[in-house]
Amino acid sequence: MAPAIALRGVAKRFPGYTALEDITLDIPAGRFLSIVGPSGCGKSTLLNMTAGLSRPSEGAIEIFGEELAGINRRASYMFQQEALLPWKTVRENIQLGLTFRGREGRAAAEQAAAWIHRVGLDGFAASYPYQLSGGMRKRVSMAQCWIVEPEMVLMDEPFAALDVHTRLRMQSEILALWTGSGKTVVFVTHDLEEAISLSDEVVVLSAGPASGMIGRYAVDLPRPRPLIDIKTEPRFVELYRAIWSDLRGEVLKSYERNRA
Amino acid sequence: MSETAPKRGPVLAWRIALGAAFLLAWQGGVNAKLLDKFFFSRPSDVIARVWMWIVSGTIWPHLAVTVTEALLSFTIGALLGIAGGFLLARLPWLAAVCDPYVKIANSLPRVVLAPIFLLWFGLGIWSKVALGVTVVFFIVFFNTYQGVREVDPVVLNNARMLGASERQLIRHVLIPSALTWIFSSLHVSIGFAIIAVVVGEYLGASKGIGYTIAQAEGVFDTTGVFAGMAILAAFVLLVGEGVSRLERWLLRWKPAAHGAGGDSRDNVV
Repeated sequence: MAPAIALRGVAKRFPGYTALEDITLDIPAGRFLSIVGPSGCGKSTLLNMTAGLSRPSEGAIEIFGEELAGINRRASYMFQQEALLPWKTVRENIQLGLTFRGREGRAAAEQAAAWIHRVGLDGFAASYPYQLSGGMRKRVSMAQCWIVEPEMVLMDEPFAALDVHTRLRMQSEILALWTGSGKTVVFVTHDLEEAISLSDEVVVLSAGPASGMIGRYAVDLPRPRPLIDIKTEPRFVELYRAIWSDLRGEVLKSYERNRA
Repeated sequence: MSETAPKRGPVLAWRIALGAAFLLAWQGGVNAKLLDKFFFSRPSDVIARVWMWIVSGTIWPHLAVTVTEALLSFTIGALLGIAGGFLLARLPWLAAVCDPYVKIANSLPRVVLAPIFLLWFGLGIWSKVALGVTVVFFIVFFNTYQGVREVDPVVLNNARMLGASERQLIRHVLIPSALTWIFSSLHVSIGFAIIAVVVGEYLGASKGIGYTIAQAEGVFDTTGVFAGMAILAAFVLLVGEGVSRLERWLLRWKPAAHGAGGDSRDNVV
């Protein structure tokens, strides 16, 4: 079977600046894969190209064996920034993907209600995004992404703006949603702990400009994973050390360049 | 700007006190012969005149004409402005071509157009509506243009990823986003629509509040001029309150209540 996502020699250039160079990566269906790298390494650019929001300057992206042209219709995207429509209520926001597919009426409303319940927002269906906390807004985004039953979910540092405890809860919720769903997840983060505790595989990008892949690590921690305690397990620490030895150099390079 | 909003009760009391003090000073000044009654009239006379107009019913046809003109020019100007703003915001090439002409047209003082509109559309309501439209159009046009262009790209991309077609993007993202801008200027544009039609009536008409004021002025009836102004002011306040309510309802998804509206552009009439 063709991989869910296949990047073939992908590069992205902006005027006077190369963001990514020669990225080749196969992501099998059903895998939870994280991409880590120092800030400014082009992680989000890579995700945007996989989503079809921007085009690679070189190379090609295949989705289940078909070359991607235009928006990736088999993917949902969870953004780092606030992406909810502020003029729509929680219910309308969650239902949005169904509305766009022409699915309205009773069945769609019931489906939205089920998701509102699933992400723990009972009683907030008629609230507007500004009336919710940051964590609640992320839950709405999560339901908005998953209600359309995408084959893959792309996440761009979705929890970066949350406090540590809320983040931990959201991470557990993402794992609960993903487990057994068969969906492919590409999770971009700069937080190596987050990447290891969630993923099957961690990909490390080098510091920009012209970032490339410098390592792939399989995370063989058993599932289900108790996220609260996982960080002190010996295997976790071992993996962390191994990946950090690669990432460390890149973080230092990026730091030097930004200071220069 | 103070951090806490002023309390409602005391503010209202002070407002009434300020207005009353002004009217009393005016009335007292005229009674004490510090102000000439011929030039300044008197609040009591003005109130009596307004009351007389209302009970005798002579003012209603004039008010009806002015209201009709103002609403027509507001509606037509707003629709044209929204359509134009959308078109130019979605077609940057067209916007670049039209840019100097839009600027030239907007820099024209509207009052010089009034005689031309009188020639084109006659003494009836349409010459006033045309004048009002030229004022409302530009305010709404600029705000729509800005609103459509400043839509949050993340929200736009999110809607795209969720499967929105171009038409759905316009309906669910671009129009609501632009609405905040359009409504923030609604107070200004409806106020100016009224000003424009009154100026139009003043310059040449056979009905309307502007015409009533011009008539009174023609016979040095300052009481009549002030009475006309008072009715106009009451009408503008009423409409402003209506717009505020509509805005609060349509923008109920916004965190805080809006201020008094967009910037007032000078050189409007």
